[in-house]
Amino acid sequence: MPREIAGLKYYSNALATPEQLTSSSSALDGVSTELETSIRFAGTQLTQAAGVLLRLSQDIIAQAIVTFTRFWLGPEGGSLRIYSAKDVSAAALYMTAKLSFQPTSPRSVTNVYAFLLSKEASPLWFVNSKGSPANPMPEHYHLTEGGYHAQRQVLLRIESVILRTLGFNTHVALPHTITLTYLQTLGVSSPAVARRAFQHLNSSLLSPQLLYITHQPNALAVASIYLAAREEGVKLVDGQWWEVFDVDREDLGFLVVGMQSMEGFARAELEKWKSRIFPLDVEEVEAEIERRAMLEAGVASNITRPVILS
Amino acid sequence: MGPNFHLLHPHLSPRSRLKPRTPFITMSSSKSRWANDDPEADALVAQRKREKEERRRAKAEKQQQEEQAKAQATQSQSTDAALDVDSGAPPKKRRRLSNEKQQYPLSEVEQQLKPAKSNLLQFPASEWGPCRHVDNFERLNHIEEGSYGWVSRAKEITTSEVVALKKLKLDNSPDGFPVTGLREIQTLLEARHQHVVYLREVVMGNNMDEVYLVMDFLEHDLKTLLDDMREPFLPSEIKTLLSQFISGLDFLHSQWIMHRDLKTSNLLMNNRGELKIADFGMARYYGDPPPKLTQLVVTLWYRSPELLLGAESYGPEIDLWSVGCIFGELITKEPLLQGKNEVDQVSKIFTLTGPPTPQSWPGFRNLPNAKSLRLPPTTGSSSLLPRARFPFITNASLQLLSSLLALNPASRPTAAECLSHPYFREDPRPKLKEVFPTFPSKAGMEKRRRRETPEAPKRGQEAPKLDFASVFGSHAGGDGGEAGAGFTLRLG
Repeated sequence: MPREIAGLKYYSNALATPEQLTSSSSALDGVSTELETSIRFAGTQLTQAAGVLLRLSQDIIAQAIVTFTRFWLGPEGGSLRIYSAKDVSAAALYMTAKLSFQPTSPRSVTNVYAFLLSKEASPLWFVNSKGSPANPMPEHYHLTEGGYHAQRQVLLRIESVILRTLGFNTHVALPHTITLTYLQTLGVSSPAVARRAFQHLNSSLLSPQLLYITHQPNALAVASIYLAAREEGVKLVDGQWWEVFDVDREDLGFLVVGMQSMEGFARAELEKWKSRIFPLDVEEVEAEIERRAMLEAGVASNITRPVILS
Repeated sequence: MGPNFHLLHPHLSPRSRLKPRTPFITMSSSKSRWANDDPEADALVAQRKREKEERRRAKAEKQQQEEQAKAQATQSQSTDAALDVDSGAPPKKRRRLSNEKQQYPLSEVEQQLKPAKSNLLQFPASEWGPCRHVDNFERLNHIEEGSYGWVSRAKEITTSEVVALKKLKLDNSPDGFPVTGLREIQTLLEARHQHVVYLREVVMGNNMDEVYLVMDFLEHDLKTLLDDMREPFLPSEIKTLLSQFISGLDFLHSQWIMHRDLKTSNLLMNNRGELKIADFGMARYYGDPPPKLTQLVVTLWYRSPELLLGAESYGPEIDLWSVGCIFGELITKEPLLQGKNEVDQVSKIFTLTGPPTPQSWPGFRNLPNAKSLRLPPTTGSSSLLPRARFPFITNASLQLLSSLLALNPASRPTAAECLSHPYFREDPRPKLKEVFPTFPSKAGMEKRRRRETPEAPKRGQEAPKLDFASVFGSHAGGDGGEAGAGFTLRLG
């Protein structure tokens, strides 16, 4: 029984099935796809920011973001009406760090999340719309001992939920290192290209097209190099070099467009949520769904009223 | 890119799921006893089959043409899009959602018909899905219990396949899901190799703390086999076992996985002469340079001298020491170094190999527990183990064994180097696994006998600071030491 090619698993990822991409547990629970995309986007940024504050290296943060993203996919994934995005973000980061060379403690994780989720002290745009305060007041993000114990309990419970939902599949292969290898293979010595390629790889973690969940690391690496070289004006070899790295033109094209669209998407999200509460937990999601339902009903009644009056 | 990559056409991509799927239609040609013996009917069936084959081929060709057209279209589209740098518009959602799953695997003929457009390697893309419930399995009998969990033989109810079910011991850890359990699953899922036990999936019970690993069932473990045999394995059999074992280990190390608990009871065997490495409860990824790791790993009798002397950074060499111990055990049928405690273990090692010298192991004095080590004067150093301990093995065997049991970790061969050792090429040749003897299975029938080997160290314990002053009986000032069997062991 040839089950898998030996040795390649290390460089490849589990990918979402068509079914997992077309439906989600949240959608089945009545969360609109657009709202789900927004919350996932904010959740990935929350994870990134928390990872930076916890001084975890980027590979751990990236793996945690991929795990976070996988959790919500498919009808058997997690639903935003049952699990809070902020809790899943914290647990994904905690679990990924635990498996890495840089484990962190529940205490550190809960402290960092208390800070990042504080409506007064947080530097994150979707938590604190006033913008990052120059001198955040410790009272605003202090976690009491009781609060810590409650949060820790949630953290460990959600960790188990993630593991069960993903069938304990915690492996995430990243494209960053092979990107450098590919650049060397292509004879590109410009640090600007490498830097730009990494920037694209890191922003793609937040992509609404779920690039890390639909494509293997080699394809992501090739697309980031293609785009970075183009943007930096560095000419690569002639010919279909991407085929050397086992990427076909179609995948490359899709990924390049996806990576390019990140900036526009991020700006649109910022604009959309400018003056609204961003729903990061179950209660806020419920409130947001209700608000939208009322808005729709209001619009509907506005339309129907003249008919009734006439 | 070899020819076998050609087989990995996207439609055939090995999207092997953790869950065993029901196999596609099996093309069995053997006749059942209810088959119609009428030749006319046979001919009819054959004709139908031909027609069906024809239709399928036509369909495949048509599909292929369509695909090409589509690919061309999307190609031009994607180039357009790629050139359209400044638009910043979100891309159109690509319809990648063909029902790949439902496609039949193409027959060989059809594969040949398909032109090799570009010979791209498809990475093995697995999937993920939630854990199934343990009630999909019916427990048959208990196999054994260790510090790491309970193992039983079980049957998957829908497929009637017999598997090994290992329940993880999850103590109420303050850090959530135990990292050892996570590592065990992660490394096993990644270590897909012929000589590593196959983890099929992870299933759960009603509660979060009931986690079971579903693995291929193997009839024996080497420890039980050795205990029950009257004579040790033949040299040709040992060679087969060792080459399988080391090739599995070589694969693990190539994937940056250290096993850290190799011993005969963790080497499983089936009745088809195949050996598989099992129990990854201590396994973990390592790096270069090695991260700081706990020294409390590997069951005492198989633990390397650098671990016993308290090295804080170590590498895959510790696994090769265990290989040496296992090799010796296969030859003599008895565990090679049966120490009663850490101090006794070091003493037994040095008695076998001779004490280390600054030449044979530079820098060993700097290891935490080596400071107090008092060694007898060295009497002529030899790189080989004493012949008298292994009178009946070839010179090449003794060379390999001695190099594996080198005190200095840097002197031990890597797993890959072992495999190219002359030992594996000289006579007697390794016995073919097809003609390997079979044995009655303990695990298949009844509870395995209680282990006589010590257990692997438990996680979370502090590594004891050991005083090795008394290794060779020269009593150092025993201030409050715990008196052992002729040894003084101070913990603290």
